[in-house]
Amino acid sequence: MENTDWSDVAASLNGDDDAYGRLVRRYEKPITGLLWRFTRDPAQCEELVQQVFVDAYFSLKTYRGDAPLLHWLRRIATRTGYHYWRRKSRQPVETTLPEADVLEQIEAAQEEKIDPAEAAAVLQALLARLPDDDRLVLTLMYFEECSTQEVADRMGWSRAKVKTQALRARRKIKEIAEREHLLEKLGWTL
Amino acid sequence: MDALEALARLARKAREEPIPIFNVADEVRLRIRSEKPASLTLIPLGLFGGLSAVAASVTLFMAIEFWKYMSSPIMELVAPLPEMRLW
Repeated sequence: MENTDWSDVAASLNGDDDAYGRLVRRYEKPITGLLWRFTRDPAQCEELVQQVFVDAYFSLKTYRGDAPLLHWLRRIATRTGYHYWRRKSRQPVETTLPEADVLEQIEAAQEEKIDPAEAAAVLQALLARLPDDDRLVLTLMYFEECSTQEVADRMGWSRAKVKTQALRARRKIKEIAEREHLLEKLGWTL
Repeated sequence: MDALEALARLARKAREEPIPIFNVADEVRLRIRSEKPASLTLIPLGLFGGLSAVAASVTLFMAIEFWKYMSSPIMELVAPLPEMRLW
C-alpha cells in the first residue's frame, strides 16, 4: 500500500475526517468509472459512489493493507453495483424501454468513428438483458478487462463458477446480439 | 465478423468513454457524520451510574458509622418494642 494511503487510513481510523476526504478524492474517479457501468443515470451513479465510500468508511477497520486500497474499494463498489441491479430487477416496471430505445437508435458507423458513449450505452443495453450474475461477469470482463480470477476475487465466487458463468453469458449475449441484428445496425457486416 | 467480435470492439470503444465527475467527498463526510453511531448517548448513562455509585458509597459509609455506635445492634433493633403500648 502507498504510504499516503496508509497514513490517511490510520488517520481516518483515529477520527480524522479530512484524511478520509483525501482518500475519497484520490479514488473517486476509478470508483465512479466502475459504477458508471452499473447505471448510466448520473443521479443514481452518484448515490452509489457515495454509498461505496460510506460503507468503506465503516468497514475501514477490516482493511488489512495486504492489497492496494483501490482493489479493496473496487470490491466494495462491485458488490454495491451488483446489489443495486438486484434491487432494480425486483422492480420489473423500469429499464427495458430506454434500453430498447438505445438499440433502436444505433447508427451505422466505422469502429473508429463510433462515439465511445454510444458504444458504451449500446453494450450496457445489451448486457442489461442478461440475468444479473451473467451481466456482472461480462460487465467486468468487457469494461474493466477483468480476468476470471479477478471477477472471482471481487465477488467471493469460485473461479470455476465464474468460468461457467462467463461461457453461458457469452452464449446468451451472442444470441441477443444476433436477434437484435447488431452487426447490421452497426454496419459492421463486412 | 461475428457478434462476439462486434461486442468486443464495442467494449474497446466504450472504455474510452469520458466518465462524469461528481466530487462526493463533502457529501460522504456529511453522510458518515449522520450515520455514525452516537457515542455521546453513553455519557448520560455513565454519569447516572457514577452518581448512583457515589450515593451508594455514602449510604454504606454512614451505615457502618452508625453500626459502630450501637452496643448491641440486635437488642437495639428490638428494644423499642417493650415500650410500645400493646393496648
